[in-house]
Order: sequence, then structure tokens, then C-alpha cells
Amino acid sequence: MLEIKGLRKSIGGNEILRGVDLSIEKGDVLAVLGPSGGGKTTLLRCLNYLERADAGTMTFLGREMDMPAVSRREIAEYRRHTAFVFQSFNLFSNKTALQNVTEGLIVARKMAKSEAEERAMGALERVGLADKRDAYPSQLSGGQQQRVAIARAVAGEPDVIFFDEPTSALDPELIGGVLDVIQDLAEDGMTMIVVTHEVHFARNVSGKVLFMEDGRALAFAPTKTFFEEQKLERIQSFFRSLDRKE
Amino acid sequence: MSERVVNILLTSFPRILGQGLLVTIPLTVISFSLALVIAVICAMIQIADVKGLKQLVRFYIWVIRGTPLMVQLYLVYFGLPDLGIMLPAFPCAVAVFALNEGAYCAETVRAAIEAVPHGQMEAGYCVGMSYTQIMRRVVLPQAFRTAFPPLSNSLISMVKDTSLAANITVTEMFMTTQRVVGRTYEALALYSEVAVIYLLFCTVITRLQRMGERKLNAMNGGNVIRA
Repeated sequence: MLEIKGLRKSIGGNEILRGVDLSIEKGDVLAVLGPSGGGKTTLLRCLNYLERADAGTMTFLGREMDMPAVSRREIAEYRRHTAFVFQSFNLFSNKTALQNVTEGLIVARKMAKSEAEERAMGALERVGLADKRDAYPSQLSGGQQQRVAIARAVAGEPDVIFFDEPTSALDPELIGGVLDVIQDLAEDGMTMIVVTHEVHFARNVSGKVLFMEDGRALAFAPTKTFFEEQKLERIQSFFRSLDRKE
Repeated sequence: MSERVVNILLTSFPRILGQGLLVTIPLTVISFSLALVIAVICAMIQIADVKGLKQLVRFYIWVIRGTPLMVQLYLVYFGLPDLGIMLPAFPCAVAVFALNEGAYCAETVRAAIEAVPHGQMEAGYCVGMSYTQIMRRVVLPQAFRTAFPPLSNSLISMVKDTSLAANITVTEMFMTTQRVVGRTYEALALYSEVAVIYLLFCTVITRLQRMGERKLNAMNGGNVIRA
């Protein structure tokens, strides 16, 4: 459904992505793992055109796009099919939880307000926050804000959701609730690419793993194979260092 | 205080206050409203980095902030007639005050827009909104909350600066007072009186500012200062 070939990106003279390929099918959950500075977040931002790639082709729902040359209109059309969940939530701070979810539906998709609110309430119920519909982001905990952000992503009924380290900014006791919501989505067959440091989550929820280091995909494999038949010494040592931390 | 002074103060009070309500306040309100329009347009041009226009805006701000308001008033009222451009005193004052305050407020508004986290913009893009939609519905409302106190400051300044319009024959509060002083020679009492009236006007604005901030806070979920 989504295929990337030869993705390259430099920022300020540093080559962040040095030719990354990946492909996912409908219903896949792809976990992107790897050390900090490896290019995971930049990869995800390029995938939603928050950063403009220097080279690479994207095939999405059968349509091929030259990533550096995609027009604004094509990006807008593409974004109707995708959603993005940020590490720092980025809820609109002048809007309530409900308005955060309906805003895109009403303004960008021209949906009737009543229909948008109905759909938004469904999305908020799904993340367990229907009772917080009138709360502003500043009145919610980090975990609740992230769940509203997920509701906002889900409400657009995207074909794929990108998660950029969705739990990295959260207090440890709030992480579980957010991961549970993402796992529920996975079980419902939502296609997702999740940049994460939560190895257990990747192991239990994802179907594929992409391991990034120094702007390259060191491994791209089904989760089971990746964890159980890992031959690369570099990846094994990465997990050993994580174990030591824990 | 002699009975004479009390009498002068009492008879001049409604006259001065009346001129304040009829001239000073309208001059301030009209000029400041125009200044806000100028400020938002100039700030947006700078934020959106519109080529050519941005340089023009920077030039305008540079010139206005680098020259005295009094000189600007004289230039437009007494200078422009040399080029055949003659404006009546009141519209002339409105134009100068609006252009002057617009330049200062443009910087206030620009700073307030820049203070809105970039993530708000990105989140808007990701739910499919356009630049203009995000600006209007997400960024500007948040920026307005930030800009509100410094803009109130500017408004309070302007109420008092309108007294300069007396120099180009606008009969506002201050000029009215000067005339009474000219007739009665009670400078201390009368200038104190007009000072109190200015103070009164500014007190009202300060109150309005507090009410406005409370309202804006409620509209933003009460999140003014947060870690």
C-alpha cells in the first residue's frame, strides 16, 4: 500500500537519511527502532512531507510520486489519507478536546458540524476520553493529550497513521494507557508506522520492524524473524545495551 | 484653593471632558483600530516572508520607529501641503497616529505569532488544513492572547499621545485646557485637572484590559503560564 524507495535527506549539510527503502501493506504495523540520531523521526517526517526529501519515490495506493517534486496539491490530497501523531502531542491549545478532533473534519474536509461531532465523539470514546470533550489541552495530563491526539488522527479515517515516538514525552505511569490505545488500533487492522523506543511494544504489537542507524535501514524484517533470528552483531549489541539500562 | 479657582475648575470640567469624549477618544479609537489592521498585515507579510513586500515593511517600520511622532505630525500637516496634499487636521492626526502605532504594534504582533509553537502549524497541516486556515483558526487566536497585554500598553500610550495633536490644531482635551489657561492663568489647577481626566480614561482601559484577559484566558483553557 505504501512503498518508499531510495529516500534521502540532508539537513544543514548532514546526511540524515542515506537511501531508505520500505514497504507496508494494508493492516501492517511497522515498528521503527534504532538508536537516537539514526534518522527515525526524519524518516517519518519525510513520509508525511513535514520535511521535504532530497530524493526518493513513494508509491501510495498505486500512485507513484517523486518525493522531492510533489506539488502542494498532491501533498494535501495525500494527507487526507494519512494522519500523524507527534511526540509532543501538538494539540491545538486554543481548542477543546472535541474541537481538536472536529477541526480538521470541518475545516479541511468540509464535513457538517453535527456529523463531525458525532464522529469525533466516537473517536474520543475509542480512546476512553469522551467525558473530557470540553477540556482544553492544558487541563489534560500528557497521556490524555496524546490519546486525544490519537482520536484526532483516527477521526479522519486515514489509511495509515504515523506515530513519532508517541510515548517518549510521557511520565512512565502514563505510557501504558497510550500503548494500549495503539494496540487496540492494531487489533482493529489499522495500518501504522510507529517510531518507538518501546521494544516490548514493538515485539508484541508490530508485524514488521525497521531498524535504522546512521540514516540507513540496517534491517527490515517481520517482527518474529527480527527478534528471534537476529544475526547482526550491531543490532544484538543495541538490545544488550537497552537490557543493561533496564 | 480660592473660590475663583474652584469655579474655574467646575465650569471647565465638562468642557474639557466633553472634548475628551468627542475628540480624544474617537481619535484614539479610530487610529488604534487602523493601527491594528496595519500591524497584523505587516506582521503576516514578515512571517509569510512575502518577497519585496517584506523589505517594504521593514523599511516602513525602520522609518517610523526612527523618527519622532511630533516630527511625523508636522511633516504630514505642515509639510505635505508643499506637495499639494492638504489634509484637514483630524484626518491628518488619524493617519499619523495609525501609521506610527501600526509600526510598533506590527512588531508586537510578529513576536506573538512567532511565540506560537511551530508544532501547532504542523498539526494543522497533518489534519489537512491550509496555511491560511491554520493561521486564522489556530495561530492568530493564540498569538492574540500573547499580544493582548503589550497591545493594551500601546493603546494606553496612544490616549496620552493624542495630546500632541494639539500642535496641528486638533481641538482635543489638551488644547481645550490650554485655551482655558490662556484666559484664566490657572495653569497648575487646570493642567492637573486634565491630567486627572487622562488618568481616568487610562484607568477605564486598564479595567477593560483585565476583563479582556480573563475572557481570553477562558477561551484558551486558562493556560497562560505553563511549564
